[in-house]
Amino acid sequence: MKKHSPDASAPILETRELCKRFTIGTRFSAEGRRTVHAVEDVSLKVWRGETVGLVGESGCGKSTLARCLVRLYDITSGQLLFEGDDITGRSLAELRPLRSHLQMVFQDPSASLNPRRRVGDLIAEPLRVHTRLSGGAIRKRVAELLDLVGLLPDHAGRYPHEFSGGQRQRVGIARAIALEPDLVVLDEPVSALDVSVQAQIVNLLADLQEKLKLTYIFIAHDLSIVRQVSTRIAVMYLGSIVEEGPAEAVFSAPAHPYTQALISAVPLTDSTAESRGKRIILAGDVPSPLNPPSGCRFHPRCPIAQDRCRSERPGLVEHGSGRKVACHFPVA
Amino acid sequence: MILSVRDLRVSFRTEDGLVRVLDGVSFDLDAGEILGVVGESGSGKTMSLLAIMGLITDPNAVIEGSIRYKGQEIVGLSARRMQRLRGNEIAMIFQDPMTALTPVYTIGWQIAEQIRTHNRISHAAALDRVEELLAEVNFPNPREALTRYPHQLSGGMRQRAVIAMALSCDPVLLVADEPTTALDVTVQAGILDLVRKLRDTHQSAVMFVTHDMGVVSELADRVVVMYAGRIVERGSRQDVFSEPLHPYTRALLGSIPPLTGAKPHRLPAIPGSPPSLLRLPKGCAFGPRCPVRFELCDEKPPLVGGSHAAACFRVSAA
Repeated sequence: MKKHSPDASAPILETRELCKRFTIGTRFSAEGRRTVHAVEDVSLKVWRGETVGLVGESGCGKSTLARCLVRLYDITSGQLLFEGDDITGRSLAELRPLRSHLQMVFQDPSASLNPRRRVGDLIAEPLRVHTRLSGGAIRKRVAELLDLVGLLPDHAGRYPHEFSGGQRQRVGIARAIALEPDLVVLDEPVSALDVSVQAQIVNLLADLQEKLKLTYIFIAHDLSIVRQVSTRIAVMYLGSIVEEGPAEAVFSAPAHPYTQALISAVPLTDSTAESRGKRIILAGDVPSPLNPPSGCRFHPRCPIAQDRCRSERPGLVEHGSGRKVACHFPVA
Repeated sequence: MILSVRDLRVSFRTEDGLVRVLDGVSFDLDAGEILGVVGESGSGKTMSLLAIMGLITDPNAVIEGSIRYKGQEIVGLSARRMQRLRGNEIAMIFQDPMTALTPVYTIGWQIAEQIRTHNRISHAAALDRVEELLAEVNFPNPREALTRYPHQLSGGMRQRAVIAMALSCDPVLLVADEPTTALDVTVQAGILDLVRKLRDTHQSAVMFVTHDMGVVSELADRVVVMYAGRIVERGSRQDVFSEPLHPYTRALLGSIPPLTGAKPHRLPAIPGSPPSLLRLPKGCAFGPRCPVRFELCDEKPPLVGGSHAAACFRVSAA
């Protein structure tokens, strides 16, 4: 088994031209076997202590990418590096010691928690698998974890259905941080929750990050929440990153026409709604990743597309300090 | 007045006793007006809409109070007479367009059938009308779309087809249940634009149910905020969003992170979670989560005020 040797100067997580393709259908189905390009050529560096927000609409590949990052999916091509170590091809057994460093929180806490097991057992499970703590030490640690996520110690004896959605997500978070990981991938951690509960969980995640020195990859489609939690943002469209940069810069001056449209489409509640720029309404829907458009994937919906966009695919190139844009004609 | 709801109460007989899901809901809706109904899951927003549509068919449901449509009482109306209103004068847009459409018939066939149920015209004439409707809801190629099955369309296009169906009989009242929740924001923006355009061209009254405060603030003329089966605040969009009265409305608006300007270090969160309707707290349902709760809140606060009303003793005492 390969030992994990952290390299301090390397990003905590890095992907190099990562691709994930799925094959659907059989040779007997009407269209034959077809390939879905769910994630295409994603190169992303995540540094220790930051929160990278991954945004995009449904079907853009953000959840697939998340699952590739924790190796829940096998990667089709490209590389995945954890603290400088290439873990792309590691077997499940070789990955096991890494799991305690790399955890995930899922979107729907009622689907990700086993309904037939008590919350205490659910939180203890990673401890039993990865540590050699005694029964008493595990119980003590579970009580600590419950306290850390804002639940009571006697909640350990209850079943998931006895909790509200927000409390269940707290249990999911307690499981993920049980082993004191370095990096947590959060896949839409608040979108299944009631609006009045979302802010609690966002605050909890921020507190835990500070206390436990966590690095987050935060996936969401709600842009205002992503802006609140992220230090850096990557915008995805049809499997690829189209814009990347510091959160504040991307939100105040989006450079890709898709990012612009996405931000302008968010309905706002504050009175400044009138004062903000004109809303850009995109024509049509996100195209199918089964049959992506030629050239720039965004050109059929892009308000400023030119001939070049239809034939030549733009790469993700440096655009000002710390920003990258995949567009032939970036806006800002 | 197109719609006038007074003291609407809906309860269900269950093993655990009578559960009241709507408690004394009253509001009015005029022609050419968009009423936004906001609330979280279990707040009763969808239930009020189903009551108006006469779609609460559970034998254990108890519906009390009054719903008047153009002066006519709908509560207790026979199924046949309700059916004549539904789809003809009152149309509905559902949350999930995939389940609202039949997968085994083409879009053209489904909408034409709806038209022919309420009008005596030929199938060919109905299809021509469908084509017009699809063009109106911005289908790029309406003639071709007639022959499409729902699964061949994207989510946004399906919802447009459902809207076209709702418009097929020129409804006086259009009720929409979270019509954009299943859609992406860029697609949602287009659908909201469409609803606004329809209100302008058809002068329909629109009741729009959603959990998204942002959507309401962009679309609605007047707003009803619901919590645990009751209306906690009611007023014009301006009033509710710039001077929210009820502590719940205020806290909810405050807990949504801003998209521009300074980022708060911590979000002002509301503690706890919405109550179960089976175990409602005594008095004001928001009481246990309320930052300004006081002695009076052990009683149920009535909705008081004129055009801008709130159900809170703090507000009525001030």
